[in-house]
Amino acid sequence: MITARKYGKPVGLLALLGVAIAFPLVFSDPTYTTIAVFALIFASAASGWNIFAGYTGYIALGHAAYFGIGAYALAIICQRYNIPGGWEPIYLIPLCGLIAGVFAIPLGAIALRTRRHTFIVVTIATFFIVQLMAFNLRGLTNGSTGLDMPIPFQWGAGYQGGNQSIYNLPFYFTALALTIVALAVSWFIRHSKYGLGLLAIRDDEDRARGLGVRTGSSKLSAFVISAIFAGMAGALFAYFIGSVQPQFDFDPLFDLSIALMTFLGGIGTRAGPILGALVLEFAQQWLTLYFTQDGLYLILYGVLFLVVILLLPRGVIPSLQELWAKGRARGRIGPLVLPVKTPVMSAGTTSPPTATRMTGQAGETAHEEVPR
Amino acid sequence: MFGPTIATWRKIAALASILGLMLMGLAACGNNSGAGNTTPIKIGISLSLSGDFSADGQAFQQGYQLWADYVNSHGGLLGRQVKLDILSDASNEAQVTTNYQKLITQDKVDLVFGPYSTLLTKPASVVANRYGYALVEGAGGGPSVFNRGLNNVFDVSLPVANNLVSFTQLMAAMPAGQRPTSVAYATEDDPFTQPQVDLANQLLTQAGIPAAVPEIIYPAETTDFTPIAQKIIAAHADIVVLGTQLPDITAFILAFKQQHYNPKAIIATAGPDQGTQFLQAIGGAASAEGIMVPNGWFAEEKTPGNAAMVQAYIAKYGGTPDGISADVPEAYSVGQVVQQAVEKIGSLNQAKLIQELHSGTFTTVQGPVKFDSTGQNTAITSYLFQWQKGSLVPIYPADTFGAVAPEYPKPSWP
Amino acid sequence: MELIIDAIITGILTGGVYALMASGLTLVFGVMEIINIAQGAFVILGAYLSYALAQHFHIDLFLGLLITMPVMFVLGVLIQVLFIRPLKRDRTMLSILVTFAVALIIEGVLTILFTANIVTLKAPYITQSFRIGNFYLSYIYVYGFLLSVVLLAGLYLLLYRTKFGQSVRASMLNRTAAQLIGIDVERVSALTFGIGVALTAAGGMAFGATTAFNPGSSYDLISRLLTIIVLGGMGSLSGALIASLGMLIIENVTAVVWSPTWSSTVFFVLLVVILILRPQGLLGKLEGRKQ
Repeated sequence: MITARKYGKPVGLLALLGVAIAFPLVFSDPTYTTIAVFALIFASAASGWNIFAGYTGYIALGHAAYFGIGAYALAIICQRYNIPGGWEPIYLIPLCGLIAGVFAIPLGAIALRTRRHTFIVVTIATFFIVQLMAFNLRGLTNGSTGLDMPIPFQWGAGYQGGNQSIYNLPFYFTALALTIVALAVSWFIRHSKYGLGLLAIRDDEDRARGLGVRTGSSKLSAFVISAIFAGMAGALFAYFIGSVQPQFDFDPLFDLSIALMTFLGGIGTRAGPILGALVLEFAQQWLTLYFTQDGLYLILYGVLFLVVILLLPRGVIPSLQELWAKGRARGRIGPLVLPVKTPVMSAGTTSPPTATRMTGQAGETAHEEVPR
Repeated sequence: MFGPTIATWRKIAALASILGLMLMGLAACGNNSGAGNTTPIKIGISLSLSGDFSADGQAFQQGYQLWADYVNSHGGLLGRQVKLDILSDASNEAQVTTNYQKLITQDKVDLVFGPYSTLLTKPASVVANRYGYALVEGAGGGPSVFNRGLNNVFDVSLPVANNLVSFTQLMAAMPAGQRPTSVAYATEDDPFTQPQVDLANQLLTQAGIPAAVPEIIYPAETTDFTPIAQKIIAAHADIVVLGTQLPDITAFILAFKQQHYNPKAIIATAGPDQGTQFLQAIGGAASAEGIMVPNGWFAEEKTPGNAAMVQAYIAKYGGTPDGISADVPEAYSVGQVVQQAVEKIGSLNQAKLIQELHSGTFTTVQGPVKFDSTGQNTAITSYLFQWQKGSLVPIYPADTFGAVAPEYPKPSWP
Repeated sequence: MELIIDAIITGILTGGVYALMASGLTLVFGVMEIINIAQGAFVILGAYLSYALAQHFHIDLFLGLLITMPVMFVLGVLIQVLFIRPLKRDRTMLSILVTFAVALIIEGVLTILFTANIVTLKAPYITQSFRIGNFYLSYIYVYGFLLSVVLLAGLYLLLYRTKFGQSVRASMLNRTAAQLIGIDVERVSALTFGIGVALTAAGGMAFGATTAFNPGSSYDLISRLLTIIVLGGMGSLSGALIASLGMLIIENVTAVVWSPTWSSTVFFVLLVVILILRPQGLLGKLEGRKQ
């Protein structure tokens, strides 16, 4: 049993990685890989968002601004420097993320002057400011018409006449890489002293400050890190779509989507946002495809929202953990629980006991609890 | 003892079954592709059946459907029936991308037709281009669709930027006493409307009719039009050129009525061409009197197939000829152009189809079609229309069938 | 100059209607610390209810409020009881998602019932106008403003002159303490939510009478309402009133003296400046530890 617990997690993660790598080769149909690319882009953004929102307990609903800035940064760079389609725009994605991060510094600093509840609405307001700039600074953004991205025609084997099922692969693996990086950064932060500080802010900000956590700079840096991931996701999204337009790349629904994804999977957990993004992006595209007539899909999507939130207010992963913990407390780890311990779930299951001690909360699952 | 556990399990099971259903749904999309000579020809289309563009998207669906009905009742295409495979994109660009992928790779459609709006045509054209499909469309006319070097996009409608040219010609040709001396321009910040207004401004200025105030640009999400209307009114211009779609022209008409502002002419880029919807929105035909709108089509036009289309529309959807949205013939023309090109080359080979579309000349309910190298239609004429006594009538060019004299100056509001 | 005066007059009149719509939002936040993203959708629903009554039963828009406001009140109470009360943890965030889901469902239902076509409300006083200087003012702007004043005054009286109002204000000050002194906070919350939604029925009618709308019109509205309550101070009614008037006046004046595309930007820049100076908004209270 102990061996299983010790090696179960790395093995599970490797298996999961294997599945992720094999997916586009098995389901090579571009329809699946297209949806998978969108799902992974959202997974990386949601995972990045969770580093700030999940760990600090501050809910930001303006990350669409950084998503859009990343998208526009890539479009503008490609246009100004005549960068052709191909791998070059992909290499520029980290730079676009950093540009989004630079914008996040002053905007985050202003928003973080307020506390939790007001903060939510202030981030929404900063989003609208940035979106308006995308419309109005025509010289830079070309206004409502937007900008075109280069098209990777030379991914030739996957282009006209070739085997088009491989065209999506560079996008897929880039999105996968972004998701893995986001997950790794989440994991690293979660296990660092810095991450403990963030969790302490979530649990009790005043006490954290009293205990010597530099709350202001911790919050702002986490905000910027999450904005960088949003920016990278935006840049990849725009390159995949092939153009940027203010109303699509600065989409207020983006934030509600990633927030719901994170809550569905389990906010504050490491794998939760990714799981949530994968499920919801598939669900959304599927509902839109098949129930679109006369707005029925809106009703279905709304009902799905309500069902998830009311039945699983803490998200899938924490609910499963609770179950696991209960099972173990009763000494019945056996057949009832094990079958659901799929690799996806196990990725975020256990966490360092230090967090529990630090925040002074007892119990097996307390450290994964969502903030108040 | 098992209570809570079982309850939680039930929730998980419910969630898992939702997920499973979704995957099954996805898997069920895969279709057989048999392309024998008796199977119908499948035509893939993504339309905005909900969301921002839903009103137009639904009208487009009617147009495509009418064309398919016509073809199927007249021997089909290459002797085969045609079948429309319409997916909805909810006016969302990610969904458009997925939809065209699915249409081409899973549904294995033989042809693709365009979505609604310039914004959504761009991502659609990129996907179609990758698979070497010709994307023939009727509502993606913004210049930004055509200036990126794709050889597979074809817009059967009037190039958007030229929409107001006929209006500028009419104004410039007015006799000295009546000729307007100043214009006020206002346009929504939108890739469809703004290029039209910019070009009209340029042409009228060249013709010696200057702008009274600089062009007023307002954001697409504007809800309160009173201050913008005030600004237009304060310019005291003879004529007003509005870059609008239905919601904003409705608001302007309301504001102008309230202000008792009666310029000699009002023209809007879109909105007044939407038949019954427009009349309902502004509160009746009396308020529409004298309002102008450019268009590539009108119900009484003597173009090939037009009478049949109008008749079929009324038989299927009811209403009057004037109530038909201009979206319907735009969609219908897409079908006509593809039909003629396919019949000429005698196959569904996309490369040949693209070649034929670039070189051939076609006829549609909207008039002749001849594509330039970028895929814009150079042959079509822009007609100028005016609401007169409850119907939308052509007023320019004067030799248009059924053209009547323009009502100028426009009568005062009722 | 005259243009500016006209812009200020219409700014004040439409600002009053926005204050009505925003007051429900800020009140609900004050009492429950939840953000009702569906407020915009409720406004549009209210507009459609008025539209349906006028179209099918020929009931005057203002008279129809006697029907639509109670209906919307009940709807609001039901939504609070069914969907918001069960949220035990992380209320603020989950309330955003829940009310967003409600907004989606409302939009879907309206699309099925009324299609996505643009509609406008019709009444004689919408098209008729009277003259002030060179400027005509439609009666609806004045009536809409008066309606807002009456309802806001009623709300003020309710909050400051009744026992229920005392409970509401106590809940706003400190939820836990209110509970301790025997106030049924859940009941107060449900009624407050109902009142907030009922006010949107009136706001929606006034909005629909001056603007063409369809089921998707709520998105632009909710962003404006949220910025209004941030500027005014979350939970502050008078703050919402001042911010609404300020927003509409600034936007209208910017539109006429500069350009409509910059009007929201000017307002937003002002908002940022105020937030830097006063993070709690104009009349908001600093959030302390409420537990």
